[in-house]
Amino acid sequence: MENDLLAQLIDAEQLYQNAPCGYFSLSADGKIIKINLTLLNWLGYEEKELLGQKFASLLTKGGQMHFEMFFWPVASISKAVKEFSYEILRKDGSLIAVLLNASALLDEHSKLQAINAVLTNTTERKNYEKEILHSKRVAESEKKRLQFMADLVPEIIWTTTAKGNIDYVNARFCQYFNCNGEDTRSSFVLSKVHKDDLRELLKVWYRSIETGEHLQKEIRLLNREGIYEWHLLKSALFLDEEGNMTNWFGSCANINDHINALKKKDEFISIASHELKTPITSLKAVLQLLDRLKNDPSNKMVPGLIEKANRNVDKVNALVEDLLNASQMNQGQLHLNKSIFNLAGLISDCVHHIRIDQRYEIIIGGDDTLQVFADEGRIEQVIANFITNAIKYAPDSKQIFINLKNAGANVLVEVVDKGPGIAEEKIPHLFDRYYQVENKGSKYSGLGLGLFICAEIVKRHGGEIGARSTLGEGSVFWFSLPTS
Amino acid sequence: MMMKAEAVIKRNNVKVIGDGEQVMLFAHGFGCDQRAWKFIVDAFTEDYKVVLFDYTGSGQSDVSQYSADKYKSLDGYVQDVLDLCEALELTNTIFVGHSVSSMVGLLAAVQHPEFFSRLVFIGPSPRYLNTTDYTGGFERQDLENLFEFMDSNYLGWSSAMAPAIMANPERPELGEFLTDSFCSTDPDIARAFARVTFFSDNRDDLSKLKVKSLTLQCSEDVIAPLAVGQYFHEHTPGNEFVLLNATGHCPHISEPVETINAIKTYLHTEENGK
Repeated sequence: MENDLLAQLIDAEQLYQNAPCGYFSLSADGKIIKINLTLLNWLGYEEKELLGQKFASLLTKGGQMHFEMFFWPVASISKAVKEFSYEILRKDGSLIAVLLNASALLDEHSKLQAINAVLTNTTERKNYEKEILHSKRVAESEKKRLQFMADLVPEIIWTTTAKGNIDYVNARFCQYFNCNGEDTRSSFVLSKVHKDDLRELLKVWYRSIETGEHLQKEIRLLNREGIYEWHLLKSALFLDEEGNMTNWFGSCANINDHINALKKKDEFISIASHELKTPITSLKAVLQLLDRLKNDPSNKMVPGLIEKANRNVDKVNALVEDLLNASQMNQGQLHLNKSIFNLAGLISDCVHHIRIDQRYEIIIGGDDTLQVFADEGRIEQVIANFITNAIKYAPDSKQIFINLKNAGANVLVEVVDKGPGIAEEKIPHLFDRYYQVENKGSKYSGLGLGLFICAEIVKRHGGEIGARSTLGEGSVFWFSLPTS
Repeated sequence: MMMKAEAVIKRNNVKVIGDGEQVMLFAHGFGCDQRAWKFIVDAFTEDYKVVLFDYTGSGQSDVSQYSADKYKSLDGYVQDVLDLCEALELTNTIFVGHSVSSMVGLLAAVQHPEFFSRLVFIGPSPRYLNTTDYTGGFERQDLENLFEFMDSNYLGWSSAMAPAIMANPERPELGEFLTDSFCSTDPDIARAFARVTFFSDNRDDLSKLKVKSLTLQCSEDVIAPLAVGQYFHEHTPGNEFVLLNATGHCPHISEPVETINAIKTYLHTEENGK
């Protein structure tokens, strides 16, 4: 292009004054010595109002501090300032956001002479920027919230990439597997799966990765103590808004207690069936015999057979009673008919039936004046159970002691035998449902419900129940009831 | 435990220059590094051994040695100075501190007066925040406003637009971007240092100083106003006070000659007075 034409189109002074950016120059002591029209218009000042003023006086106080601590050193030492972000006060008190670029003019001794600066108006951009920073903070705090939640739940939680490599684990994961959250290679996790579950797990896992189908599987995982515990593993594919596979989210809920309870229940059903079957079988045999004797009712065997039939019916009846009691307890349907009665009286009535068997000596001691407000029938059931247990599990203990004590706000009843005792580790489980101290070969097998029922009765009264024992010396079963 | 000289030299990017016997230790202020001294250092290298350094986390120091816990108060920075004195076996040192380094130097000299012979404070302030019986120059909101500017300058438009807003909170690319420019610091460290600097209150420490000192006060300093400099002078035993014609907060940058003369005059007078 010809120079003349160029000069016509672009007038340097015009360009300076009306450029799409603000220009100004500062003296070495920071005073405005030149400023263009664009900037004056942005700020709403006349030129004469600003010439000779300190540029810093147009900044907010924080901006002034920043200007002193950053702008001057950078301009003086680097000779150029790139994209410093400031807010400038307009004459009307409002603010515009600007990006400041500047270059320093030095004399031959490197002494600062002046600074030329360009301002770009970034007010709108700044608002976007604030929004973005705000969104970032929101997203980060949301992430923290989720992390907090993920660490709080009792389940093991993890995510993997679409291909199945673990990329996040929660605190419970690290706690359960005793790792620091870094060793989450697939091989590490697979080494924790019980070998009998591993093949099946891999099979369904690979199928899920291929098809994107949700996965659910019960597996055993090795905990930090080296014990396998049952877990319900669930995993689902997370699709983003565009439908891309991004992550697998997974959890492992500990269902060990649940699985064990089911096992116990199965065992119990098998024991209960067996227990019921024995008297019923013998009842059936008796009935067959009686059937043969039906035309001979005066046969001398008849009374014996009826007696035997009754004993077996009693046995079945007792077993069914236990089962009913236990299921009542489970459903919280135990109703107490409370009255005030004398404990020693109840105990001696109860013992009276058992004393018929002369082999055992039952000695009642302690305060025989103690009164309680309780369900007499249920408490009798507890005491009877304690005494029959003592006879059952300590058959060689010829003496059984029952002690009554006043212990402040409670009445304490102890049943003491001199039997073989119970191993310490078994004591905490004695009052569990379906629990039975092993007594293979003993003729007293039973359902193992007795103590569970006793415990429920005592708890329902607001009392406590327990046992202590020394191997070779004997056991003490006790319960307490509140006096009021 | 004493640090080895090499370890301190590496951590704090220590530079020793000059032919003199007596040591002058220059400590930069908040937001800068040792390059801030470039206009005045040459005036002292003939007569003194000049030691320059960057605080841990600033300038070209070894940022990996920075720990948020250690540097959560000025004590961490004081320890940097003391480590340096011990490791380089500095005694009889003239300490020159700018801005927050004035307080760092004062606290170091209170703990170990034996390392220092004179202290020179440029724009000192024992407390920046106003309170009922004291005018530091700033309200809390002014300082929050400053921190906002610092944040917006570190995390400005370009970096806020960086794609890895969520995925990469550490933003290593930002660190690289900043290392070249003067006053470059890791933004988190800068933010922490700013809070330590501007929220500290060391008014009670002034009277404990046993080493003689000089205050260089600028005219029209928004960071350390005249009244603050006077308060500092009045409460610090053995302190001389010189009001410079230089304006702003960095007279060693804006008016190096006047600054050099003021320091030299003080040191010579003190020498002759001995």
